[in-house]
Amino acid sequence: MQKKILDVKGLETRFRTDEGVVHAINGVSFEVNEGETVGIVGESGCGKSVTMLSVLRLIPMPPGVISAGSAEFYEQDLLKLSEKEMQSVRGAQIAMIFQDPMTSLNPVLTIGKQLTEPMLLHLSISEEEADRRAVELLEMVGISEAEGRLKDYPHQFSGGMRQRVMIAMALSCNPKVLIADEPTTALDVTIQAQFVDLVKRLQADLGMAIIWITHDLGVIAGLAQRMMVMYGGLFIEEADVKELYANPQHPYTVGLLGSLPRLDGKHAERLVSIDGLPPVLYAPPTSCPFAPRCEFVVEKCLEENPALEEVAPNHKVACWVDIATGRMK
Amino acid sequence: MLTYIIRRLFILPLILIGVTMLVFAMLSMLTPYERASLYVSDIPKRQGAIEDIVKKYGLDDPIHIQYWRWMVGQKDEVTGEIDGGILRGDMGFSTVGHMPVAEVIKHRLPATAELALLSAIPLIGLSVWMGIKSAVHHNKLPDQILRVLAIIGWSVPTFVLGLLLLMFFYAKLDWFPPERLSLWASQIVQSGEFTRYTQMNTIDSLLNLRFDIFLDALRHLVLPVITLSIISWAFLLRVTRSSMLDTLRQDYMTTARAKGLNERRVIKGHAVPNALIPVITVGGMTLIGLFNGVVITETIFNYPGLGKFMAASAAMLDVVSVLGMTLFSSFVLVFGNLIVDVLYGIVDPRIRLD
Repeated sequence: MQKKILDVKGLETRFRTDEGVVHAINGVSFEVNEGETVGIVGESGCGKSVTMLSVLRLIPMPPGVISAGSAEFYEQDLLKLSEKEMQSVRGAQIAMIFQDPMTSLNPVLTIGKQLTEPMLLHLSISEEEADRRAVELLEMVGISEAEGRLKDYPHQFSGGMRQRVMIAMALSCNPKVLIADEPTTALDVTIQAQFVDLVKRLQADLGMAIIWITHDLGVIAGLAQRMMVMYGGLFIEEADVKELYANPQHPYTVGLLGSLPRLDGKHAERLVSIDGLPPVLYAPPTSCPFAPRCEFVVEKCLEENPALEEVAPNHKVACWVDIATGRMK
Repeated sequence: MLTYIIRRLFILPLILIGVTMLVFAMLSMLTPYERASLYVSDIPKRQGAIEDIVKKYGLDDPIHIQYWRWMVGQKDEVTGEIDGGILRGDMGFSTVGHMPVAEVIKHRLPATAELALLSAIPLIGLSVWMGIKSAVHHNKLPDQILRVLAIIGWSVPTFVLGLLLLMFFYAKLDWFPPERLSLWASQIVQSGEFTRYTQMNTIDSLLNLRFDIFLDALRHLVLPVITLSIISWAFLLRVTRSSMLDTLRQDYMTTARAKGLNERRVIKGHAVPNALIPVITVGGMTLIGLFNGVVITETIFNYPGLGKFMAASAAMLDVVSVLGMTLFSSFVLVFGNLIVDVLYGIVDPRIRLD
């Protein structure tokens, strides 16, 4: 039986903007077990990053506010901790890496300083010990001549190498959970593959759980055990990876998978896309957020927002319609 | 880093020579007769007197020969020695100052330097600190207050502020007088019992352990320093604030917070080093500008610095002095630029490895 280490229930986050209050997340719930890899997939703007930033309470508090929900990490609600207690969780228990390696590292501090910073903060070790560990970490992520590299600055590294440094930094205090927010989006395809291999290897060695956010369905397929699809600030489908790709049950997921260009596709075929744009919600959704773009829409979709329900073992979907038949369930 | 500095040092003499050429070009825009008459105070009695002067000093020789002579000096007909020239520090004779231009500059530089340093150091420290605070508390009360103060400081003309301060704090209250020292203090300073080290009253009085003179010197500096620094203070505050706001938006700030650092460390260790980079450039140039002397402030407070000298020379059409000051100012600027460049390289590692 896997041990549940992160249990998020009913998370809601809102942002006050000039145009009104944006309801970015509207009741998100998920679990993460020890050592497993969970993928969160969705379009830009659906709320994936905001979800994880809310769990770590990195949302700027004006204009944002976490208005409801709980996030239990080893049975301690992160949303109820003091800021000081939160600081001892960030970087030490739960670490996060971000999308753009070119801007995510501080350009005027050496790599060594940035690597040793979390270690000196969270672990009671000396500076020499921290430097030694920093070298080990760089070697672990595949950066050669690590010792000399400590004195280098971020601009002396390529994008792929900077992302490796980010991972090294994130894993420096052996966190239980690594949150990766679209870490390969800004990398070349070949570098992406190398990076994914690296992460797989690190997980095998260190055993941390990984939450991998992406909008690239290709990358996540080889990495995650479970997947969650997000739309309009809500999870609309959840399943084991193979099951999701084989039997998507939500019209949005079907659309997403259908829009992937295939190597074996016909040469002159037009790429399939889903018409319309993802919504920006100025009020909590009272109807299904995907209804305006859905080809299976029925009247109930416009009246009530479906909740996540299990339709197969370990497979939940939030939809009123059975897409196999096109009729209401 | 070293190659960066050495490269800049190599270019330095070239730039300086270029400056001298420019200044000389300005000088040679006057005709030989006009240049001769710079030194003639009365209408000559004899008919060919001006032409004789022109011939004697070679004022109608080809320009490159004149330039060469201006730079390296003239051969004395009697002794055969070569003397004078810019390279030897001879910038000509100042009618206004009644001594060689170089002497005037040497004489007045400490006063200007004292004013500049005293204005710059507290001002830079204060405005940078306030700019950072303003940005961190963006749109809250401290920020709003500082922004208003900065706009007022930026908008008030120097002469208005200076005169108002002088009227109130000197004429009415007699707290802060103009000029450099009171009569009793300058008598002591000029006497044998006071040793001059830097020619700056504040430093020298401390070195002589005369705290009464030190306080007197400070008293005289208060108003000109305030007048001078308000505009620079306002400017630097806005630059710092804007740079800091920009920095706070960067991705690496989120990374820093995600590592579990508290907000103070995030601001101090991650934001400030980045935000200060443009501030150093601007602050450095402000300081250099102050060293060139500030005409209005020095005139209002009757402060015997380079600015007042420059203004008087211009008013009296003392071309030689004006050009000498131009040369001096340019040199100060070029050297100051070099220092700012080096500082920039120290603070921003991306620059020094180009």
